[in-house]
Amino acid sequence: MTGERKPRRVLIASANPLFGKGLMKLYGERWQQQAIQSRLASSMEETLAALDSWQPDLVIVDYDDRAIHREEFLSHFITGSRPMQVILVSLQESGAVVVYDRRTLTPAQANDWLNLPWQPEPSSNPPSRRTPKMKGNTRHLLIAGLLVIVSTAVLYFLLTSIGLLPEEASQQAATIDRLFNAHFFMISLLFSMIVVFLVYSIVVFRSKPGEKTEGAYIKGNNRLEILWTIIPLGTVIAFSFFGARNLAETRKAEPQALNIRVVAFQWGWSFEYSDFGVTSRELYLPVDRQALLSLTSRDVIHSFWVPEFRVKQDALPGENLVKQLRITPTRIGNYTVMCAELCGGAHAYMNAPVKVVSKADFDQWLGTQVSAVITDPVERGKKWAENTGCISCHSLDGKKLVGPTWKGLYGETVTLADGTTVVADETYLRTAILDPNAQITQGYPANVMPSNYSSLLTDDQINDLIEYIKSIH
Amino acid sequence: MKKILSIGMIRGLLAQVVGMAIGFGLVTLLQTLTGQPLKAEPAWVVGGFISALSFLTGLGIFNDWFRMARGDEVPEPEEVEEPRGLRRYWGVSYDHKVIGVQYAFLSLFLLAMGGSFALIFRVELAQAGLQFLSFNLFNTLIGLHGMVLIASILMGISAISNYVIPLIIGARDMAFPRLNAFSFWVAVPGALLLVFSLALGGFETGWTGYPPLSVRGPMGVQMFFLGVWFVGWSSILGALNLITTILRMRSKGMGYFRMPILAWAVLSTSIIALTATQMIGLSFQLVLFERLLGMGFFDPAQGGNPILFQHLFWFYSHPAVYIFVLPGLGVVSELLPVFVRKPLFGYRWVAMSSFGIGLVGFLVWAHHMFAAGMEEYLRVPFMYSTLLVAVPTGVKFFSWTATIWQGRMRLQTPMLFLIGAIVIFLLGGITGPLLGTVSTDLHATDTYYVVGHFHATMFGGYVFPFFAALYYWYPKITGRRMSERLGKWHFWLLFIGFMVMSLGQMRIGLLGMRRRIADYDPALGFQLPNLIITLAGFAVALSVLLLFINMFRSARKGEPATGNLWESRSPEWQIPSPTPAHNFSGEVVVTGDPYDYGLEGAPGYVRLEADLTHSPQPAD
Repeated sequence: MTGERKPRRVLIASANPLFGKGLMKLYGERWQQQAIQSRLASSMEETLAALDSWQPDLVIVDYDDRAIHREEFLSHFITGSRPMQVILVSLQESGAVVVYDRRTLTPAQANDWLNLPWQPEPSSNPPSRRTPKMKGNTRHLLIAGLLVIVSTAVLYFLLTSIGLLPEEASQQAATIDRLFNAHFFMISLLFSMIVVFLVYSIVVFRSKPGEKTEGAYIKGNNRLEILWTIIPLGTVIAFSFFGARNLAETRKAEPQALNIRVVAFQWGWSFEYSDFGVTSRELYLPVDRQALLSLTSRDVIHSFWVPEFRVKQDALPGENLVKQLRITPTRIGNYTVMCAELCGGAHAYMNAPVKVVSKADFDQWLGTQVSAVITDPVERGKKWAENTGCISCHSLDGKKLVGPTWKGLYGETVTLADGTTVVADETYLRTAILDPNAQITQGYPANVMPSNYSSLLTDDQINDLIEYIKSIH
Repeated sequence: MKKILSIGMIRGLLAQVVGMAIGFGLVTLLQTLTGQPLKAEPAWVVGGFISALSFLTGLGIFNDWFRMARGDEVPEPEEVEEPRGLRRYWGVSYDHKVIGVQYAFLSLFLLAMGGSFALIFRVELAQAGLQFLSFNLFNTLIGLHGMVLIASILMGISAISNYVIPLIIGARDMAFPRLNAFSFWVAVPGALLLVFSLALGGFETGWTGYPPLSVRGPMGVQMFFLGVWFVGWSSILGALNLITTILRMRSKGMGYFRMPILAWAVLSTSIIALTATQMIGLSFQLVLFERLLGMGFFDPAQGGNPILFQHLFWFYSHPAVYIFVLPGLGVVSELLPVFVRKPLFGYRWVAMSSFGIGLVGFLVWAHHMFAAGMEEYLRVPFMYSTLLVAVPTGVKFFSWTATIWQGRMRLQTPMLFLIGAIVIFLLGGITGPLLGTVSTDLHATDTYYVVGHFHATMFGGYVFPFFAALYYWYPKITGRRMSERLGKWHFWLLFIGFMVMSLGQMRIGLLGMRRRIADYDPALGFQLPNLIITLAGFAVALSVLLLFINMFRSARKGEPATGNLWESRSPEWQIPSPTPAHNFSGEVVVTGDPYDYGLEGAPGYVRLEADLTHSPQPAD
């Protein structure tokens, strides 16, 4: 023991003068060469007042004394910040001696503590065995950390290479699969973080059978806890943000979307191409063109799901509850739409074929379907004209729009931009549709009408269109 | 005859049959008298309702309350004479320990039943094609599997809470012993009604009971609704009792932050159960009325909305998941320090994380409905709130890991189950965010991925901790230990079986296997995985069978458990096993922290005093 010593302040709290004075004397005899100041407090108020004003280093409390309100005293003791120790001494029961230390609750039995030489600098008080432990701990943490990295990499590689998801057959699927991959990474990381540390602890630190050792006395670490609250918080907010962006991307609307009304019922599907008056039991979709599905149900709740397209939407009964779903198929092939919401009975069999086909095949299929429904070529032509967008530029009532009107066009003599005239017969009309810039009508600019109708319409459809134009007088 | 009738359970069952007949007869009579066409459904519903009340009356649970209402003297719950021996468990008892065991027995019974339902339909699913089940029976079985096991879980957490909570907070009983007995017994006729739905044609809606399907199908669904309604009462009243007990009956010196961590978990669970359970009772009740009285709450043709039901339903049924797992996670936090011989890392954070999970858990229900057709913009805020659950859950995991780190772990059976709980709940946890972000959920929802994820959270959050608790407290209840050898077999079979099952389910789910289908297209390539999942399911069942054998055998032949078996600091291990009547002979005074393991010379958590004057008295 070196250095200058402040007198040690000892407060003895007891209403029993024998206890207090006896203890004071005992303590003084034990440490007679040390500078000690001691004081007696015989009531609760006195004790608390002395705690604040006199600031003792040690308080000895008569634990059998009911005049000392233990809880109040304890809370006073715990909430303070100045280093201080408290001993609870009971005279009635043997072994009922308890030492409290305000800073660390140092492990020491009362007797041991009494025999410890009194140290004037309280900062050197905490147990010194922590330092060597930390070194070993750092090594363990390093090894475990490395294992976490390795395990994350291996797991992520496995998850992304064993084909967890079905084929990617829509634009939405491509977008969603990016988010899936981010999730697979988080799964690998979090699983490794916890399991590696768990397994490492079991392997390295566990008690061998019969061993009775205790673990390290570590009660917590607020900085760590804050860290592993804040970092996950940031991560989930980021995930939600990117999740929302991802969702928005899957819902991006294209103006030229193909409208299909999907009707679900126990237990089947019907698909109405309402613009064409076609109803089908198979879902035909042209590749690379967005389909806007309007889902409804005739009875209970069903759900539209094609795994290869990823997105899913319930179909509800009720005209006011029609729900929409956008899908842009990107791969030609045969798929299945399945009902994903339990709808009773044959729910398992509520499937329908989905055929993603090329643009040309789709038009051909649609043409056949329409022909089957509408026998009059004029009626069919009217459908094509409405759905191809012809009539937004060509009026049916003689009005001058972007292009010449169709009213009474057939058989009339048309004056062209170069001054020549031509009779609007079938050949003229066909040329005007397929190669619009070949014969520009006087008064209308060239290069306005798209010249790709040969790829958009089949020959039959063009014939129907011509029949339709012929019918408008 | 008189001897048989002295058993409460038997009186109750007879009364239930009689009550059913009375209710059925009454409605039929009314229909005949008014010249209406005879309809069976109203008769069964009224019969079912009266039958449950009759069970309780026949059992005698109302007797004391009737006496009180008349103004007669009733004895204090502590002083009621109860039959001795095993017969005590078959009738009304006000002892929290007896009620805890009753709950545990009912829970295990329902566990066996719900698990067997799963085995039946798993055999059906082991190969493509419809082999031996009809569509309707398949649908009924999946629905009952769900709801019977939910009831089992509710009973299981009540078992732990009832037996353990008074002991670890140093109380002599629960706050309201009579209400406690009622909470248990009201669940019994409820569970019976639930299963009775099988006899009335079953139901085809699954446990979720979504209308309009539930409005159309067979009338078994009405018994299902009634059963859930009564079991819900058990949950609500039990929660009320537990909250009061934890708030008012703690021993001297046990400030909130000196409570055992399990008490925190049970407190948060009980707050959720008390405030949310009404919603499922209500939503099912509305469908019951819609079927019975033609009130079109959820029928679009009558101005109703089927999505409204889903909101009401999930407003309970999502927080319910936290009701199921929070006590389990509490058991993990409670027992870990005992077995790794270290203090619980970050006690306050772990305690508060339970509340955090409970609170956030109320704000996430609509994530079950991302594909359901609610307002589309609503999906984004619910995505944020859903992922937020990861934060308090993460605090738990990290704190557990830090608790285990450098711990001198003793690999006894309860500890094995704790490891299983942590790993499997982790599996359930990390597979969750994928269902939380909307666009990925649109693919995974309503598939086997959800089935795998959900079962992982249930097994990790409830089943494994429940088994850990059984092995840990069984000696406290019976005075004998369970066999460690059988326990380890149980663990490994369950752990491996479950892992294979759950991962297999997630795998085929992502590839396109829908939930709740009785058959699947063999061309999808799910035959082998489904066979493996079924076999793994049987491994799980076999492991539970081992548990039953172990419990049964150890009750008589187990190694006698003396003293502080696990060297725990908790008060219940400072008293003899089996727990004596009224638990502690005197006052329990808290003198230290609950988890100061590894601190040489630390003051004990509690000191047991021999004097009786300060002990808290249960009120009723």
